[in-house]
Amino acid sequence: MSPAPSRRRRLAALVPAAALLLGLTACGSDGSASPAVTDPAAALDTPTTLTFWTWAPNIDKTVALFEQKYPKIKVEVVNAGQSATEYTKMQTAIKAGSGGPDVAQVEYFALPEFALSKRLVDLKQYGAAGLESKFTPSAWSQVALNGGVWAVPQDTGPMAMFYNKKVFDELGLQPPTTWAEFEEAAVKIKASDPNRFITSIDPGDAGGLDSFVWQAGGRPFQQKDATNVAVDLQDPGSKKVADLWSSLLQRKLVDAAPGWTNEWWQSMDSGRYAMWLIGAWAPGNIASTIPNTAKDWRVAPMPQWSKGDKVSAENGGSAVAVPTSSKHQAAAAAFAIWLNSDPEAVRSLNENGLFPATTGLLTDPGFLDEPLEALGGQQANRIFADSSATVGTGWQYLPYQVYANSVFKDTVGQSANSGDLNAGLSAWQKRIADYGNQQGFKVTTP
Amino acid sequence: MSTSQSTTSSTVRSRSAPAARRRRNRGARHGGWGFAFFAPFLVVFVVGVAAPLGYAAYLSLFQDRLIGGTVFVGLENYRRALGDELFRAGLWRVLLFLLVQVPVMLGLALLAALAVDSGRLRRPGLFRIGVFVPYAVPAVVASLMWGYLYGDRFGLAGQIGDFFGTRLPDLLGPDWMLASIGNVVTWQYTGYNMLILYAALRTVPTELYEAAALDGAGEFRKAWSIKLPAVRPALVLATVFSIIGTFQLFNEPNVMQSLAPNVVSTSYTPNMYAYNLAFNGQQFNYSAAVAVVLGGVTAVIAYAVQLRSMRKGQGA
Repeated sequence: MSPAPSRRRRLAALVPAAALLLGLTACGSDGSASPAVTDPAAALDTPTTLTFWTWAPNIDKTVALFEQKYPKIKVEVVNAGQSATEYTKMQTAIKAGSGGPDVAQVEYFALPEFALSKRLVDLKQYGAAGLESKFTPSAWSQVALNGGVWAVPQDTGPMAMFYNKKVFDELGLQPPTTWAEFEEAAVKIKASDPNRFITSIDPGDAGGLDSFVWQAGGRPFQQKDATNVAVDLQDPGSKKVADLWSSLLQRKLVDAAPGWTNEWWQSMDSGRYAMWLIGAWAPGNIASTIPNTAKDWRVAPMPQWSKGDKVSAENGGSAVAVPTSSKHQAAAAAFAIWLNSDPEAVRSLNENGLFPATTGLLTDPGFLDEPLEALGGQQANRIFADSSATVGTGWQYLPYQVYANSVFKDTVGQSANSGDLNAGLSAWQKRIADYGNQQGFKVTTP
Repeated sequence: MSTSQSTTSSTVRSRSAPAARRRRNRGARHGGWGFAFFAPFLVVFVVGVAAPLGYAAYLSLFQDRLIGGTVFVGLENYRRALGDELFRAGLWRVLLFLLVQVPVMLGLALLAALAVDSGRLRRPGLFRIGVFVPYAVPAVVASLMWGYLYGDRFGLAGQIGDFFGTRLPDLLGPDWMLASIGNVVTWQYTGYNMLILYAALRTVPTELYEAAALDGAGEFRKAWSIKLPAVRPALVLATVFSIIGTFQLFNEPNVMQSLAPNVVSTSYTPNMYAYNLAFNGQQFNYSAAVAVVLGGVTAVIAYAVQLRSMRKGQGA
């Protein structure tokens, strides 16, 4: 599953600000409707219609399996827009107390925002705490926040290095294992053709840079308690990443270009970009968007900061949550749990393109040995699973990451023009702190 | 928004003035009927324009915080908006856009209207449709299309550069973005403005041209002394529309943002700023204040232009 296109494809949301002011007439919050049935097992036996907001492709196939198993529950799958578009609609609906979903897809980075403002049901009361052992630690740590369990992990995106083997072979290069080797390869690739780059960096995508910082050991966002937040976008990890990429940008060894555009995919297709550092959900996108050259692409583990290390990070991924405005919370919770933890359901999700979040599937030999057609038959799942097992611990998102990500392009994105990402990170930190303080948090910065 | 309100209410006022006189002359018998005919408009006006505006103004007096909930803050949001550098930078940007793009567009529209009206074009209908068609293309589609054309690698700009063995300037880069957006807007709205001006030209009585021809005036003299004064009110109208449109610039930069996020920020234009405050930042209240200030600025500038041109027109 790719959470990434959403951040760019804003076209669905082209409504002038005025329209919002016209539409937002209902502001009362009577979303505290007590669910009629509180026992999940009983709820699954009561005729109910659930509304499920998600943009995961083909998820209706897995939902159909659920409906077969629990025929009394009807699930209506609605695509209410991707990522920020969906979150805005959901915030408004929860505030209004009606019109919202019973179950919703929420990316990990947006989860703290909903959980903190108590807009999601704590799934502990429906037995979600017992699920911990089924999921990877990195996935679980992103849904278990502040003593509650706010969603069930659906898919993850452990980072990996996708590279164009044809380009690498042509230049006699090996896939780099460290960032130093990465830099050397970048020089050689540029030297072979001034129009070729080792990869691109997206000035509009906070998630991409976050993942690099995560892998480098940076933990720039720390929520101390309900109101205290610490932000340090110049901690050693962040600085290491910014220094490397600033240097690459200044020497024009990487291309500052927004991802997912037509031009960007053409660059991927034509060998202009030799590499893509991204989450394990990418093979499906490669196969469907550049089918002619997909077979040239291979996967290797992420370059490391110290030789011999094995540290990875997550990029993207979603969980499934139950908003407090749902009138069928027990059934909704039972559905969310089944959809993402039942072995049959999890396999179906994976078959439809989602990279698993469950340890069961990630250790299943059938899954690990499966040759991926998109990547020339490589058994890439082994590399992805290794990456998943070595994700650095302790990463946190801001309780208002959706906003923070939206102004990434205003600050770090603009600094990509000059190639001084550290200046961009400082500007971003200031916007993040200002917003947080306006919103009533106490934001501390070094 | 405010401008449309003020123009609408002024039309209402001017329309109801003769009605009041009539009432005085012929008694109050028809007063009820007058109101009955007027009521449907009034309902739509109140529900569609006045109420949302009032609600936005009301919202702008509060702050809704993630921690602490909604509190009444009086004019605090306005104080913040007036000192907000991002908002101000956006306003300057659209003002610059206004000073360059609107004269270019209206000049082209005037030329096109005069050309159609001159009767010397071989296929005037085709020309008219051709210039007008871009207006029928939705702004989002137009921006996407131009965005691809501007692409300096695989787009038309890139191909032209390759053909001549050179690189064109990056039309989506920081130096050229505003001009590139101006080009899209000009392409889109020249035809629309041409139609307004052409309609005004059609109302000139042909006797005037005959008289001018008898006096020995050539085509250029006729255009200068008869046609230009005749289109003056229409030109003022088109200018006011363009000013409002410019201050509300949104679709074009918003689409370009996905192609050049390092150039088009979330506060690139005031309207984009208000939109992003509300939809990405959940700051509905501050967004409402920004929208109200933006509406006020637009109304003042549009009204000033209108007043000034009208006064000039009377002086001439």
